[in-house]
Amino acid sequence: MNDYENIWVHRAKWAYLLLIVVTLMSPVFYVMYISFNLNGFGAAEYVFTWKWYGQIFSDRLLMQALRWTMTLAAMTTLIAVPMALLAAKFYKATDSKLLVVFLMLAPLFVAPDILGSALLVFFKNLNGSFQWLGDILGVSFMDSWFRLSFLTALIGLIIYTIPYSFIVILITMGRYRTEQTEAARACGASGWRAFWDIEFPQIRAGVFSACSFTVILCFNEYTRTSLLKGGFDTFTTVLVSQMLNEGMSEQSYAMSSFVSFLAIALIGSIILYTLIRAETISREARAKAEPVMST
Amino acid sequence: MNQMKEIPVDPSTSTHSPAAVEVRGLTKHYGSVVALRDVNLTITAGEYFVLLGPSGGGKTTLLRTIGGFHKPTRGSVLLHGKDVGHLPPDKRPTSMVFQSYALFPHMNVLQNVGYGLKIAGLPKSQILEKGTAALDLVGLTGYADRKPHELSGGQQQRVQLARAMVLERDVLLLDEPLAALDAQLRKDMCLELKHLQEKVGITFIHVTHNQEEAMTVADRIALIADGELIEHGRARDIYRAPERKFTASFVGENNMLSGKVTGKSGSEVMVDIGTGETLKVDSRGQPVSVGDTVSLSIRSELTRMDLGNGKTDAKPGHSVSGTYDEAVYLGLTTSHLVNVGLDHDMVSRVVDDLDDLPQPGSDVRLYWTPGALRLHIH
Repeated sequence: MNDYENIWVHRAKWAYLLLIVVTLMSPVFYVMYISFNLNGFGAAEYVFTWKWYGQIFSDRLLMQALRWTMTLAAMTTLIAVPMALLAAKFYKATDSKLLVVFLMLAPLFVAPDILGSALLVFFKNLNGSFQWLGDILGVSFMDSWFRLSFLTALIGLIIYTIPYSFIVILITMGRYRTEQTEAARACGASGWRAFWDIEFPQIRAGVFSACSFTVILCFNEYTRTSLLKGGFDTFTTVLVSQMLNEGMSEQSYAMSSFVSFLAIALIGSIILYTLIRAETISREARAKAEPVMST
Repeated sequence: MNQMKEIPVDPSTSTHSPAAVEVRGLTKHYGSVVALRDVNLTITAGEYFVLLGPSGGGKTTLLRTIGGFHKPTRGSVLLHGKDVGHLPPDKRPTSMVFQSYALFPHMNVLQNVGYGLKIAGLPKSQILEKGTAALDLVGLTGYADRKPHELSGGQQQRVQLARAMVLERDVLLLDEPLAALDAQLRKDMCLELKHLQEKVGITFIHVTHNQEEAMTVADRIALIADGELIEHGRARDIYRAPERKFTASFVGENNMLSGKVTGKSGSEVMVDIGTGETLKVDSRGQPVSVGDTVSLSIRSELTRMDLGNGKTDAKPGHSVSGTYDEAVYLGLTTSHLVNVGLDHDMVSRVVDDLDDLPQPGSDVRLYWTPGALRLHIH
């Protein structure tokens, strides 16, 4: 059935879609709403203010946690996305696709707290093994390699985010035809050059989406990081512990809203850019297209 | 069928030209599947060579191995006398046109054509100059700024051709380049390809399963099936005088018969085809003995039909009797199907329409001139 035959059906579908989005986003909107209230959460009187946004940079604990999280997110993205890309390329090339998919997605089928605990035990044992080895060899430089730290949290996050990156990249890569790489090789391009010149521009959207997704997942992750992080705090662990112990501060609301604004702006910009670009290409194609002769 | 088969260089082209491509004892396995088996092949420089055969026969595997996209399990590939088996595709003096229009969708036509030149490090002015000339060569002047999706299938294949030829490599590999085009466009492009090859003078190796396409463009044809090189030769010879039974059944429209040798007289062999009739055929020096099972073939256009009006030259041993089935009108020609008591009809194909078609079931006789029937022992 064509939606446009009945404008009310068409509008009802849009209204339904918007209702779902508003329902999903309403908690975020509420946090944003509170973040602009001078009197904070639960106050009877609402007084608009930018004050909490001005003060978020003075909350040293939160800022330090934000820095750690951003560093973790950046490192995870730099490592996990290229690894996922390589895995996706291998998937395209191999005949044993089912096995590759299973192996890549396996971490998703383990509950976060179980995987986190398993990694915790693993790193503790690994660290103990290195300490034992160090004792035998009479050296101490290996003693702290696998103590709970930034490194162990990073490894936990990489294991967590790789399956998602793999799937996102694979979806865009699915449309790519490998004959184009072969054509580039036949033109004299090396394997890397063929990838960079021909394949990457066509899967770029997927790779960038995987990067964005990885960053968001790193900000979202609580269980594994809290188990594996060692002595430092991340943005999420600070927010959660603050809320559990003393309720959220006004700065926390402002910081949460600020991050949400940034994420929405980033994703929104990508969508807008994609729409505008698609329209521009379509317009150019229409303008150029003379009747195409079957010659 | 497992023996080494050497294709000798065609004397008509070998006198002045060295071998552009030599394939020696090439074998390719995919796990337990044998895609190529002991293939030996010599292709002369400047030749239009066609690898013809049914789908899955190994011809594309052979082409891609020459191009460096597959590594052989055994054997070697020599280009201009140098073993290139260890070289990747970008290091070989070959370029390639793919079946699917493997154009780069994010680049316009000129960028596609100039990509190889850019890789080679040519300055922009030369890329523009050579790219434009290549587009002129394939009849796409004025299309430089278009994106691939704005072109028809034929135009996209021309861009692929331009992209391959602008590199001025010695050998151009074409993997079913016309398979995705409609019938009329394929015919036109066949001739254009042939003329283009004559113009630029480089070696073309063209893979196709379409015999008409092969006949149109080829100087020489190699027939490949089940991973083996079945037969080779000039296009005309492959059509008119197939040596192997498979060639006769694949190329042209041949009536295939089989029977048992019942006698020999000089080079003439008598074959009982099991319908109570014995046919005479020249052995052409092939070793046959009485009692051997052999195959016979005759092209449908060399098979004539005697309607029983006494106006024909049907000779004993060079004709078979049967009952008329039906006529299939094909435009330029008409095929008359005759049941001669085998599990399939024999066909007589004629250009002229018959005014008085025999009634289905009526007795007719198919006949041919001595020498038209061919004997195959393989």
